[in-house]
Amino acid sequence: MNFFIIAILSAILQIFAPWWVIAIVPFVILFWRPAGSPGTFWTGFGGIAVPWLLYGYYQHFISDGALSDRVAKIFMLPNGILLLLVTGLIGGLVGGFSGLAGYWVRQLFRRHPAPLSGPGA
Amino acid sequence: MKFVKAILFIAITAGLVYVLDKPWAPAPALGPFLSPFCGLWQNSEEVIDPKTRVTLQLDSLRDEVTIRFDDSGVPHIFAKNDFDLFYAQGYITAKDRLWQMDLQTRAAAGRLSEILGPATLTLDQQSRRLGMGYGAEANLKVAMTDPRSREALLGYTAGVNAFIRQLAPKDYPIEFKLLGYKPEPWKPINTMYMLEQMTLTLAGRSNELAMTNALKKYGRETIAQLFPDYPMLQESPIIPSGTAWDFPKLPIPKAVPPMVPGDSNLVSSKSLTTLPPRAPKEEGIGSNNWAVGAEKSITGYPILANDPHLELSLPSIWYQVQLHSPDMSVYGVSLPGIPSVIIGFNERVAWGVTNVDADVFDLYKIKFKNEYRNFYWHDNQWKPTHKREEIIHVKGQLKPYREQIIYTHHGPVTDSDGTFGELPNLAIKWIGHEPGNSFITFYELNKAKTYDDYRKALTNYVGPAQNFVFADNEKNIAITVNGKIPLKYKEQGKFLLDGSSPADDWHGWIPAEQNPFVKNPPRGFVSSANQSSADTTYPYYINWSFAPSERGIRINERLQAMTNANADSLRMLQNDNFSVLARTLLPRLLSILETRPLTPKQKAAHILLSNWNYQNSPESIAASIFETWFPLLGQAIWNDDFASPEAPMEYPSRDRTLYLILKQPNEKWFDNVNTPEKETLPDVVYQSFNASLDTLTKRKGAMSPEWQWSKVKDAEIRHLSRSIKPFNAPPLVTGGGSSIVNAMTKRKGPSWRMVVELGPTPRAYGIYPGGQSGNPGSPYYLNLLKKWEKGELNELIFLTSPDQKVPHLASSLVLQKR
Repeated sequence: MNFFIIAILSAILQIFAPWWVIAIVPFVILFWRPAGSPGTFWTGFGGIAVPWLLYGYYQHFISDGALSDRVAKIFMLPNGILLLLVTGLIGGLVGGFSGLAGYWVRQLFRRHPAPLSGPGA
Repeated sequence: MKFVKAILFIAITAGLVYVLDKPWAPAPALGPFLSPFCGLWQNSEEVIDPKTRVTLQLDSLRDEVTIRFDDSGVPHIFAKNDFDLFYAQGYITAKDRLWQMDLQTRAAAGRLSEILGPATLTLDQQSRRLGMGYGAEANLKVAMTDPRSREALLGYTAGVNAFIRQLAPKDYPIEFKLLGYKPEPWKPINTMYMLEQMTLTLAGRSNELAMTNALKKYGRETIAQLFPDYPMLQESPIIPSGTAWDFPKLPIPKAVPPMVPGDSNLVSSKSLTTLPPRAPKEEGIGSNNWAVGAEKSITGYPILANDPHLELSLPSIWYQVQLHSPDMSVYGVSLPGIPSVIIGFNERVAWGVTNVDADVFDLYKIKFKNEYRNFYWHDNQWKPTHKREEIIHVKGQLKPYREQIIYTHHGPVTDSDGTFGELPNLAIKWIGHEPGNSFITFYELNKAKTYDDYRKALTNYVGPAQNFVFADNEKNIAITVNGKIPLKYKEQGKFLLDGSSPADDWHGWIPAEQNPFVKNPPRGFVSSANQSSADTTYPYYINWSFAPSERGIRINERLQAMTNANADSLRMLQNDNFSVLARTLLPRLLSILETRPLTPKQKAAHILLSNWNYQNSPESIAASIFETWFPLLGQAIWNDDFASPEAPMEYPSRDRTLYLILKQPNEKWFDNVNTPEKETLPDVVYQSFNASLDTLTKRKGAMSPEWQWSKVKDAEIRHLSRSIKPFNAPPLVTGGGSSIVNAMTKRKGPSWRMVVELGPTPRAYGIYPGGQSGNPGSPYYLNLLKKWEKGELNELIFLTSPDQKVPHLASSLVLQKR
């Protein structure tokens, strides 16, 4: 659930807000909503990386890679798909660490370990 | 523990954001650049659905404008008044070419360092010292006093800015994202900068320092023999010999013998003010145009052709557009940044341009009173200089770079001959500083209906001087060597001029109507290929050297023989690969080689050359050998006499070299003065032949298909940045060459090919390498390249109304006032 909230909310906010909003959304969501520790990183990672990959792939696809394949070569990568994976990785890392930060800040305000699944999960 | 983890992950996240939000030159800030919501991915474009109809509400429009796009991406703009017409031209050009417009005006204005940092500071200094801003400001003043140019400039500016204003950072062209800067508002003076830049490209060179160095070494007599004012071997001038000059001639100014610097130092072209020497004249920038009369064409009307040769780039220097208003309907190519069409046609007339290469860039030696340079000696008195401060902001540096440029009445004092200590003491007199309104020439040509309109339009033109070819549907053809050309004594400006003597000043201008021109000549065609404007009977001095004659000779031979011509005959001539140079020279060279014993490798090359049809076709190996050989032959003859790194000298021309080989085989110049032996013409021919085979072997291995001309020439079209290689065009297979009608060299060539059949309704064809869009992510970035490479043309769609039903029309855009 957290994954979907992060993905949808970040995608909407990125239409208006600067790119670094992806470092805020996972933090806020995982601060606000309970989550199990082991999956937290990947919730934030996926919540950002998946919309990035999907939207990036759509733009790569409609233009037949005209731009992405060329820009990939500027970065010494063989093609646009690899550039897209790098893009997803970078967005994902920001999202993942932001999520982890949100999760641990939430723990600071709690006496007991968080339940494995929150009431709304 | 929790606390440590919380802090740790906050720190990692913040650190990542910091690192990703910061540009790491040359890489852009990776976060915003890679984000699919604002970065590079946003610049991906798909083919626009032909049925798309978009309406936009824009500020300051006066009326509704309709724009139809055809399937090549060319906009056809229908407006109800001039302001809206140029508004829409500005809007649409910016939509496709905003970064190009930004970069080119920055380059012309000497403002590249603001975005590129210290690396481009010398380039900017050159533009500033040359007075590009001084010229642009002077021209803008004139343009703003004529209501027609004022309206066009203000409309165009409003249109470009309307486009820029509605851009969010995610919409910026990819180059802005890569370089990490924002588009700035467009200003009317930017158009003047674009015109200055054209003047610089086409008429911004001089070789008088190199000539003066040669004069100093060899004396007047030898220099007169080696550097004649008209080709000695062969020429086919633009205005046919025999054309009458029936006008009252102005008196020619009194000639002054050339100055030879008296000191023992040779003139150094190395400026002491850290500027690199400006590039000497180079071959390859030039153009072809011609028109055949009704009696030579199958249509019964004239047919006109033009292909300007410039450095090829992506996006193209040209942008196709049709402009339609109640009193204008014109189609052709524009230069992004300049309202109107530069080369094109309308319902009644067609025109095209090639460069004249008039000598409109002269250097004057200035005598200053002292090192403060507040006064200079002229006409027997000390006259005050003027100063202009140039301020260059450099990215990454807090304090801007400042420089005071001294101006005399000649122009800015920017170069040095090394005789005034560290300080520049050579002034530039340049047509780029002459106030005028060249825009009006194009504006009036866009609307021209008759031959008289054409002649009148030309009188507004200042520079760079162009050969304006013309044809109309009243069956006239004409060509005019046109521009403001200074009235000079013979050879004035061939050598360094004396800045203190009024006798060396420019003496007014050749009257516009006395510029060389011809209308409906008996031979039934007009043409130009940058060769000599007129033969030696023309009363005024324009320049002592023009582009070599081979292209002109070939064009004139073929047009002479042509009958029942149609557009395709002219298209085929544009793609002609025949080498007049090889025809002239090669038989002589081969007969010399036959007197020598040849190795098997040399024999093989000799046989190839003997059987060659002189066609520089892409697959020809003989063409590769000859094209490698000829420059080496020239160097073998002249290097020992004229190579001098500390005081560069001009080399004798190609025509003069040919004359020497063919008519003066016993001249002393064949001897290499650096060897004890006495070399002769056969020695030089044999050695350079050998050297050319060695050069090719070194580059391409033993003779094989790798030696084919297209592979040896290795033509390329680079992105305008010249450094972002993945945005370049894919490798090209092209024939031609620098002395060939199909003037495709490594980086320069036919930047636009156009053929127009005049008639009750014009039929026109054209293409340039690249596409309408400057966005490498657009389907219109390279869509015209393949056809151009094959030498084919697209039929140009000339609409008479916005809702006309014709094939190849696609989407439309309506601009309405808000």
